[in-house]
Amino acid sequence: MAKTYDYLFKLLLIGDSGVGKTSILFRFSEDAFNISFISTIGIDFKIRTIDLDGKKVKLQIWDTAGQERFRTITTAYYRGSMGIMLVYDVTNEKSFENIKNWIRNIEENASADVEKMILGNKCDLEAKRQVSKERGEQLAVEYQIKFIETSAKDSLNVESAFYTLARDIKAKMEKKQKEASNPAGARSGGHQLRNEPQRKPTSWLSRCSLL
Amino acid sequence: MDDDLPTDFQVIVVGTGMVESIVAAACSRIGKNVLHLDSSDHYGGLWASYNFDGLQKFIKEVNSDPKRQLQVYNLAEKWYIEKASAEESKAEGEEKPEDGKGEPAKKVWTQDSFAAEYRKFNIDMTPKLLFSRGPLVELLISSNIARYAEFRCVTRVLTWLSDKLMPVPCSRADVFATEAVGIVEKRQLMKMLTSIVGYNEEEMNNEFKDWNDKTFKEYLTHKGLTPNLIHYVLSAIAGGTNSMPCLEGVKECKKFLMSLGRYGNTPFLWPMYGSGELPQCFCRLCAVFGGVYCLNRPIDKVQTKTADDGKTVVTIDSKSKTLNCDHLVIGINECPKDLISPEPAESCDISKAVFITNGSIMKSDKEPLTLLRFPPLTDEDNAVTVLEVGPATGSCPKGLFVVYFITNKVKDAESDLMPIAEKIFDMSGGDQTADTEKPKCLWSLFYNVKDTSAPVASTVDSVHVCSGPDAGLDFDRAVEQAEQIFKKICPGQEFLPRAPDPEEIVFEDDVTHGPEFQREDEDAEGDAPKE
Repeated sequence: MAKTYDYLFKLLLIGDSGVGKTSILFRFSEDAFNISFISTIGIDFKIRTIDLDGKKVKLQIWDTAGQERFRTITTAYYRGSMGIMLVYDVTNEKSFENIKNWIRNIEENASADVEKMILGNKCDLEAKRQVSKERGEQLAVEYQIKFIETSAKDSLNVESAFYTLARDIKAKMEKKQKEASNPAGARSGGHQLRNEPQRKPTSWLSRCSLL
Repeated sequence: MDDDLPTDFQVIVVGTGMVESIVAAACSRIGKNVLHLDSSDHYGGLWASYNFDGLQKFIKEVNSDPKRQLQVYNLAEKWYIEKASAEESKAEGEEKPEDGKGEPAKKVWTQDSFAAEYRKFNIDMTPKLLFSRGPLVELLISSNIARYAEFRCVTRVLTWLSDKLMPVPCSRADVFATEAVGIVEKRQLMKMLTSIVGYNEEEMNNEFKDWNDKTFKEYLTHKGLTPNLIHYVLSAIAGGTNSMPCLEGVKECKKFLMSLGRYGNTPFLWPMYGSGELPQCFCRLCAVFGGVYCLNRPIDKVQTKTADDGKTVVTIDSKSKTLNCDHLVIGINECPKDLISPEPAESCDISKAVFITNGSIMKSDKEPLTLLRFPPLTDEDNAVTVLEVGPATGSCPKGLFVVYFITNKVKDAESDLMPIAEKIFDMSGGDQTADTEKPKCLWSLFYNVKDTSAPVASTVDSVHVCSGPDAGLDFDRAVEQAEQIFKKICPGQEFLPRAPDPEEIVFEDDVTHGPEFQREDEDAEGDAPKE
């Protein structure tokens, strides 16, 4: 099958339970908001292909599958990720404080050069706000990570957040390619198993008979 | 935070080893309400992979906790390199102004440089390979769990013959290239292997019915194979020793041959970042279908009671909370003794070793991924499985290799395995930059593990005990056992049906009962951009 994209980026959503990771994912991938997604059942990742400076960039965005609830994210979740959205809820102080723990978790498990971005979600709920925008900005400066406040419900900044992250990954990747003159999209990872065998099993037998 | 953990589940799984994780995924996949716990703070139990820091913690934990020593004992770690480099603090760049364009000098590793790059290590407690057409590969593909994992092909199979390492010809190209086997031998070999591949189960049993009490070696000798060929087939392909029963040897050969030609030059695959990733892939699927995960959660007591409707309920006390379930699936190492019936028979334990070296055991143009089946050195010894993995597998930093030794215990891990280590590594320490024939061993770890791989029955029908890792090369026994346990819990249900791709999940607006799965007619891999 012909490739319908120029780049494939694996992105992750990380943050405490209930901060709106799945809502952000659905806002971005389906342009929908449904408050009935209380926990994340059956959703592995979502795909959306965007256009960046004339290149088709396929974003594969992975959800935690609820494994963040008791801090039980698998190390396998982080493998091969190129960008991570760290999400907290501006109406939940604890979720903001935990961003530091999640960053530590990322440093432990993700690749060292993964692009990160902090999102303060639910910024539509001004009356319930516990974390000011300034504190979010301050944290982002401290870790030298980009920051934006979002509302998945009102569709505020979700789109631009993903575009920003994707653009940063693309820039980093193209810079690397220039330096190493690697072919585009070359990955150092392994192979995924597919159903179609690369060679027919019978070919071994026929090869035997050649002798 | 633990307090919002629900208390009632259809299935509770304790332990995140391979068997437990497959059962958890299978139950969750068909809609069972699953809680998955582990007493440890990481996934995998004895099947885990550790980075270098995690491994140090594991070693400390084993050495200080007598309960742990029931599973892992005779643990001995040794360094063959300096703690810190003497000149490191001095300006490093000034050293070699001359050979700027020459061959890069071999890096000198220190214990500190291992520690600095600890994250780049993924060291397996239970390193295993997958047969390309084995049950685990088929299951990963049919269940769509393959999307969580990546693999590398084992690039070569080696054997030890006439006191040196020799490549075992696997593909036609190998057979033609090899000078170790003469042309007449090649014909003989191919004729016999082709007939083995051709047999189905019945024909095989028929053909070999007179060989039931004879060894595979006797059969190969009877077929007129030369000693060289007998060595290749028996030791390298069947992975057996002189005492291997004939039928078993034939079956092992067939398994090897059937897996050739699917993914690479050899029949084997190695999971990227180590075997410890695989249980986690099944856990992810379990979670995606609603399974609840909680690590660091030891259990204290397991009891059964009869509910009002006459059903048996298993209750578990954990951190002053009582959890209820219809079925408990529990790893043998977490299982209270009184639930096991009868006590498993004493079995032969496993001797293991891990080595970190500064080069491959046999030089190669491209980074190799090697299986070596080392024949027994004496009649009392067992064959040793040797796996060598490099940086491309995510197992270690550039410039290093991780080598695993696995065998059935005779005396203890070090006595069983050191003689072989000395044959293929330079164990003397010293100058790492010296151009030695054998790679330098920089670090080693020897240990014994209790063999808990025999299936164990429980005293209660609704408690299912999962075995621990075996000494075998593959995961086949784990997959088989997981399926059996699943069928007991969910009779008549499909074992890990294919999980839909995200593109196939269609959300209807304003449904409150959650997403419905629907197969779209279009190609699942379609990449239609939204807009």
